Amino acid sequence: MKNFKRFLMLGLLVLLLLAVPLSAQTRQFVLKFNHVLSPLDPYHEGFLKWAKAVEERTKGGLKIEVYHSAQLGVEEDILEQIRQGANVGQNTDAARMAMYVPEIGVMNCPYFVDSPEEVAKLKKMPTVHNWLKTLEEKYGFKVLSFTWIQGFRHFMTNKPIKKPEDLKGLRIRTPGTPVWQESIRALGATPVAIAFGDIYPALQQKAIDGVELVYNNIPGMRLYEVLKYVNETRHILLINFEVVSAKWFRSLPPTYQKILEEECDKAGLETTKVVFQKEEEVKKMIQEKGMIIVPTKDIDLEAFKKAGEKAYEVLKVKEVKDRIWKEMRKK
Amino acid sequence: MLLVVLFFFLFMLLGMPVVFAIAISGFLFFLQHPEIPITTPIQLPLTQNINFALLAIPLFITAGNMMNYTGITKRLIDLSVVLVGHLRGGLAQVTCILSALMGGVSGSAIADAAMEARMLGPEMIKRGLPKGYAAGALVYSSLEVPTIPPSIGLVLFGTIAQVSIGRLFAGGIVPGLLIMTFLMITVAITARIRNFAPLREKRASIGEIGSSFIKSIWAIIFPVILIVGLRGGLFTPSEVGALCVVYALFVGIFAYRELNFKNFIEALRGSAIDIGATMSLIAFSNIFSYGIVWEKIPEIISSWILGITNNPYVFYLILIVLLLIAGFFIDATVLILMLTAIFFPIAMRLGIDPVHFGLIFVIACAVGNFTPPVGAAMYAVCTILDVSLEEYIRESWPFLLAVVLAIITLVFFPDLVLFIPNLIFGK
Amino acid sequence: MRKIYEILGKIELYVAEVLLILIVVLVFSAGVSRTLKNPIYWANPLASFFFAWATMFAMDAAYRRDKLMNVDFLVKRFPQKIQSYIKIFNYLVILAFLIFLIVFGVKLAFIQRYRTFEGMYGFSYMWATLSIPVGSLLLSITTLVKIIDEITNLRRWRKELCS
Ligand code: NA
Ligand code: NA
Repeated sequence: MKNFKRFLMLGLLVLLLLAVPLSAQTRQFVLKFNHVLSPLDPYHEGFLKWAKAVEERTKGGLKIEVYHSAQLGVEEDILEQIRQGANVGQNTDAARMAMYVPEIGVMNCPYFVDSPEEVAKLKKMPTVHNWLKTLEEKYGFKVLSFTWIQGFRHFMTNKPIKKPEDLKGLRIRTPGTPVWQESIRALGATPVAIAFGDIYPALQQKAIDGVELVYNNIPGMRLYEVLKYVNETRHILLINFEVVSAKWFRSLPPTYQKILEEECDKAGLETTKVVFQKEEEVKKMIQEKGMIIVPTKDIDLEAFKKAGEKAYEVLKVKEVKDRIWKEMRKK
Repeated sequence: MLLVVLFFFLFMLLGMPVVFAIAISGFLFFLQHPEIPITTPIQLPLTQNINFALLAIPLFITAGNMMNYTGITKRLIDLSVVLVGHLRGGLAQVTCILSALMGGVSGSAIADAAMEARMLGPEMIKRGLPKGYAAGALVYSSLEVPTIPPSIGLVLFGTIAQVSIGRLFAGGIVPGLLIMTFLMITVAITARIRNFAPLREKRASIGEIGSSFIKSIWAIIFPVILIVGLRGGLFTPSEVGALCVVYALFVGIFAYRELNFKNFIEALRGSAIDIGATMSLIAFSNIFSYGIVWEKIPEIISSWILGITNNPYVFYLILIVLLLIAGFFIDATVLILMLTAIFFPIAMRLGIDPVHFGLIFVIACAVGNFTPPVGAAMYAVCTILDVSLEEYIRESWPFLLAVVLAIITLVFFPDLVLFIPNLIFGK
Repeated sequence: MRKIYEILGKIELYVAEVLLILIVVLVFSAGVSRTLKNPIYWANPLASFFFAWATMFAMDAAYRRDKLMNVDFLVKRFPQKIQSYIKIFNYLVILAFLIFLIVFGVKLAFIQRYRTFEGMYGFSYMWATLSIPVGSLLLSITTLVKIIDEITNLRRWRKELCS
């Protein structure tokens, strides 16, 4: 019995050891920033630039570590971590934010905005301001910036697409969120939810007939090996959200908060420029690799816009769209 | 992370089930990092459990178990005996061939080694093969099973590294046959030196081989169907897994008519248990891997190795030595789960073909199942045949040597791996 | 008590088997329907959802039968009694971890009630999250029974030694 007691004591001691965090806490702030894109994507370099600028301005007090290719985990998992106050950040989109505040989904609907200039206007709008506030107060997301624009999304397939009917019966990969699925369905295709990383094998195995992505996704994923046409449907101008935890954000000194936000906006604007420059290079490169581009002028955009209206109705954001378009003086 | 690794080994040596050892030691990392939400260790296994790509694994396990009840196994044994029974070492040669045949329907080395030990082991010993030698042949030949498609190890690697599973599967065919050849040569040499008798008097006639071949045709065309399914683009790997189960049922019910409801339930039950053991390990080891990425350990190891060399062959040498040593203590599945994220990026930096790397990596990890003191396939066989570890070590080293030589051959001749995938899927 | 434990074991295995069959059917029909260019978009996500539950139930089934892989070459060299103590220590550590999974698993499920299960509209992710705490509850019951068995063994040996 004596033996047993001694043994129990030892066990308890070990358990106690386990429960005590062993590493010393340092006062330096670290943000682990995750994105799903490849290290070759202009965004990765953009995030590294942002990290460098923030580290310099805070004299090393706030450090950002960038993780590419979803190394830190699945996007949806990271978002939930952010809600719980972790020092992680994520590059995400309106469709995912719409899972929390449904109205935001409007930003991810077909033909909602036509240019980066219109996106810049968005941030000043009272409606948008309210969304950000709800995200922060109710769900714990701090949106640092949405000046990061990834370019226009186009359908990429193995046959030319000129009008919505051409998409009929085609299985097009989309992210799994309802907003994406409904938008793509409205435009005439059959959405198939597949993770970003599985796109290449799915195309290779013909589990899907095409994708809808931006030009800059093509080289990193070697899509020219498995797809023939880029149809410039410009159906969504992809606005990205850089989000961190509101709780973590509040724990930063106010000067750091300001620097983090400012530099994020700044890096976003620069990266957007790079993105559009790079698209031109990519266009040249993929044509050399044998892809065919169906330019916007050959596409019945009006028909696509009309078809896209359905997404607003299904997602019940038509009224929101009308309101914002009115505020923007857009028809 | 050092603390995590220390506790992992402590818990393992204390005999805690590996799944808990790896999960609990991995969990310690989160206690050291209060800035990460404490719910993360719950999210991580869940994310693996709902990962559609990994669904291929339980489906392949189920298909393999069903196959054992369809009568396929029995026919494959007959075929193996007819093919090589006249050679010296008899049943040791049979197990080399049989594993290659079984490789086409099953994906796990451990399951195959255990099954063959039960079916062939006692007979091998009765016919005069030393116990340790029989165990060695049974254990090492099971390496052919995860090399020849389908393969659980390759699905895991392909999912983590995002490499086409179809290509990996196609890439496994020649290496599997190569390993078989090397092992058969080893048996031939050792059998001559030690004067083991053959199983049957003389070589089987062409007619005998032909009829035995036709009887086993349902199993032999199986890997062909598998790769055609993946190549034809009809199915994703998980769907091919489901197709395999349906195929096994079809063969069992309509072709051989040996599968009845009772067998079916038994196979299902066995599969559920196997899946519980395998998938829980895959799910919960995700807790452990998280800290590895968080602390950027892949980058640290990568810059360390790239600091030593930029030569792919030297890298392969370091990799194989490391994996063999790690394999003494850690089993294949865990090795693949922990180390793919570390070594795959280095291989890419060095310009190595992802499929070539995948095959070498998975095969070298699989050897960890065979080497003492920790090896699941070795345990299974030695327990069934009642072989002591000393006997096993003394008798099995020629097989280890043969397998290592096979891996080195594959390193120096990448086309052995890449020829078939390039042929089927294009460059 | 034993009886309930055994019935529980039968139920969990039965559920795991049924889920396994459903997974095969779902994944197979998803593949077939897609080949026929008419995909059932919810079949694969639903299969993944079942998979989460099946794994946890099957894990406990394997644990009950001591089929979870472990390494015992070192422990086996100790005398029986020490082996028992080590086992009890292991089970206590496991139990503590499982209790953590139960408590925080329920909490995580609650936190994630807004999250949609990828590919299935209007279906909360929470239902998948719950597989971890529920599975852990089954595992912790098994662990408790194993602890009791081990203590009984110890007692028996002591009696045999005394008599
Ligand atoms: Na064998
Ligand atoms: Na195999």
